[in-house]
Amino acid sequence: MEKVGLFLGCNIPFRAPDIEKAFRSILPEFGIEPVDLEGASCCPAWGTAPSFDLDTWLSLSGRNISLAEEKGVDITTGCNSCFGVLSEAKHMIEHKPGKFDVVNEKLKLIGREYKGTSKIYHIMHLLYAIIGPEKIKEKIKYNFEGIKVALQQGCHSVWPSDVYEVKEENPFFPIHLKTIVEATGAEAPHYSRIEDCCGMGAMSSSDREKSLQTFKRKISSIKEEIDPDVVVTGCSSCYLQFDGSQKVLKERGDIDFEIPVFHVTQFLAIALGFDPKLVAGICQVSRDEIVKEMQSEKRLVK
Amino acid sequence: MSGLKIDDAKIKEAIETISKYGGEAVVKCVQCGACSGICPGVRVGFNVLCRMLIKRILTGQLEETLEEVSTWGCQACNRCTEVCPQGVRPMEVVFAFRRYQASELALSTSAFGPQMSLYNVGHAVTISPEAVAENRKKAGLPETPPTALNNEQAQKEIQTLLDNSPMAELGIF
Ligand code: SF4
Ligand code: SF4
Repeated sequence: MEKVGLFLGCNIPFRAPDIEKAFRSILPEFGIEPVDLEGASCCPAWGTAPSFDLDTWLSLSGRNISLAEEKGVDITTGCNSCFGVLSEAKHMIEHKPGKFDVVNEKLKLIGREYKGTSKIYHIMHLLYAIIGPEKIKEKIKYNFEGIKVALQQGCHSVWPSDVYEVKEENPFFPIHLKTIVEATGAEAPHYSRIEDCCGMGAMSSSDREKSLQTFKRKISSIKEEIDPDVVVTGCSSCYLQFDGSQKVLKERGDIDFEIPVFHVTQFLAIALGFDPKLVAGICQVSRDEIVKEMQSEKRLVK
Repeated sequence: MSGLKIDDAKIKEAIETISKYGGEAVVKCVQCGACSGICPGVRVGFNVLCRMLIKRILTGQLEETLEEVSTWGCQACNRCTEVCPQGVRPMEVVFAFRRYQASELALSTSAFGPQMSLYNVGHAVTISPEAVAENRKKAGLPETPPTALNNEQAQKEIQTLLDNSPMAELGIF
């Protein structure tokens, strides 16, 4: 793969563009040029068209995918919602009887066509299956030995496994993110609630308390069982929940700790030696101290 | 469920409605409960998801469940789809049910904002343009992202798709 279409979604370019910067920084290091998909819209998010009308969802997602097809590239994203929505739409357009034609009828209204030529990869899948841990090992500037990571892969990178391009061998015991993180030298031990939901998404927008309850259960398990230095997420929504809701729980006295959080692209960008101010500069829970440790002299490779 | 009368016509109507909205595998459910056991929504009290929602449908209680809020708490996580031994794809049943609810405008008003925003600027999740620009500057990126946000042509395309959709009849954008 020489080029890949960068599907940004909403949260990454608006609220966490340091993640976008991390994408743009690390991909060329691995020999892949990120290509913009100009005019790409919301995936559309689960609470929008998918909740109202199936064909409208498929045509909006179909339009987004067609932007990549036009450029002859596959798609990658770091948002699990975008990944799930686009992957499921692609699967339905291509496998649910009649949908391919319905979508193309709709897209004709705007002079576009869905062909089905672009694949959709989560950035974790790209890093795991196409770039691979060996290449990551080759490229890191700082070795993260001794740094303990809590993994948060997120729901929409594993289920439903039948619609995804790259699959976990056991979706209830995911190893993609673990393999990527361990390629930096860091350790990523198992904990009992590793595949639990973080509570972001519809649960959060429809009942914030239920969402916080779900998150607290998970973050407490992480703290008690493995007491990590950082949390690394595969998903930008999980990232926002881990970064933002620890603050909320701490202010309410529900927890008495804070663990710095990175999106996997940011974690790798730090390992590759990029400027933390640019690739990991926007957060609620401070990352200053751990970043200093991660990029300390003694960790320099060679 | 005491006093529930099995009414064949209502069952038929419920199954047809949910199938029409994309949940046609609902009839394959054997009520084993595997989906509910793993559902993060059920765990925190959104009880009418997965097996329970399907039971309501298969017993014909469509209108009786119209105002149910559990469906809007579904994380769309698809754990249920993964574990269902019958290939029901419960999440798709939940979303079919949401579409039925939306067609009757049985949804909270807070659901309207994102639709409006998707229609206007092509993004459901937005913050102020100033905040976007400021965040992007911090990351050393151009203030405007290459998405639909500041792209009139793209916004027109999205509006055309939405205008030609059943969503347009709901008066939500
Ligand atoms: S997709 Fe919805 S119904 Fe299925 S397990 Fe997840 S939250 Fe529950
Ligand atoms: S797992 Fe499948 S068969 Fe079992 S209750 Fe859920 S939907 Fe029905």
